[in-house]
Amino acid sequence: MEENLKWIWAAFSLAWVLHLVYVYSLGSRQKALKRQVEDLRAQLEDQGRAQ
Amino acid sequence: MRTSAYLKPAAPPWLVGLAGVLMMISLYLIFIWVPMERTMGVVQRIFYFHVPSAFVAFIAFTIGGIASIQYLATRKNNYDDLSVAANEVGLLFAVVNLLTGMLWARPVWGVYWAWDARLTTMLLLALIYFAYLILRQSVVEPTQRAVVCAVTSIFGMVDIPIVYMANQWWRTQHPAPVLSGEGSIDPRMRFVLYFSTFALLSVFWILVRMRRRIEDLRREADGLRREVHAL
Repeated sequence: MEENLKWIWAAFSLAWVLHLVYVYSLGSRQKALKRQVEDLRAQLEDQGRAQ
Repeated sequence: MRTSAYLKPAAPPWLVGLAGVLMMISLYLIFIWVPMERTMGVVQRIFYFHVPSAFVAFIAFTIGGIASIQYLATRKNNYDDLSVAANEVGLLFAVVNLLTGMLWARPVWGVYWAWDARLTTMLLLALIYFAYLILRQSVVEPTQRAVVCAVTSIFGMVDIPIVYMANQWWRTQHPAPVLSGEGSIDPRMRFVLYFSTFALLSVFWILVRMRRRIEDLRREADGLRREVHAL
């Protein structure tokens, strides 16, 4: 019984960790793209003002 | 004034709340409510996460495949976005299914892995979608990328019935289907299995919405980049 508990604990922990790592990766990809969009908008504004 | 993709919420709060409540109820049902399986004991409870993960992966790859067919028919980018989001999140669930299966197999079979038909076809399915994501990164031209990925996604979808039927078509170490046939599974176990699938589907939908947001932002960035270069 106790021997088998470690396997169930490992399986559920692994499943949750994988989901959390994926959510973290989505968050960081989104943050990087958001920064790119803001930079590009600032560049467009600067170029518009210069013209 | 154009509305930026990141100003819209990726997942509405009610959906996040619903998924949280469903997951909590699901954990209660799995660890407290459902009866103990007589032969395998407590380790059998991995079943309530392992099998629903496979169901969700199959649903995700089917959504991805159908969206790919629609993309090829209409060339509308929103179908390509849905396809990549469903396939990437589906791959996450397929990996969870494979790894939880290995951790269940070790105490029950004595080995982490057996090259039997069900396990091998499931691994192949996951590898098809790994290839899909690699293709996504390696093809630069957007239309060509979307077409190549749509074809790969449809190819992957065709593998789903093969994985599902593998333990009926070939002799496998993997257990036979427990949902078909009368009296094959305790009704309470069946209920928990369906409930867990439903709870994981709500998580899946949140992740798909978050992943689609990234595609929205990528398209917005590409559009702005073109404008900057045009000036």
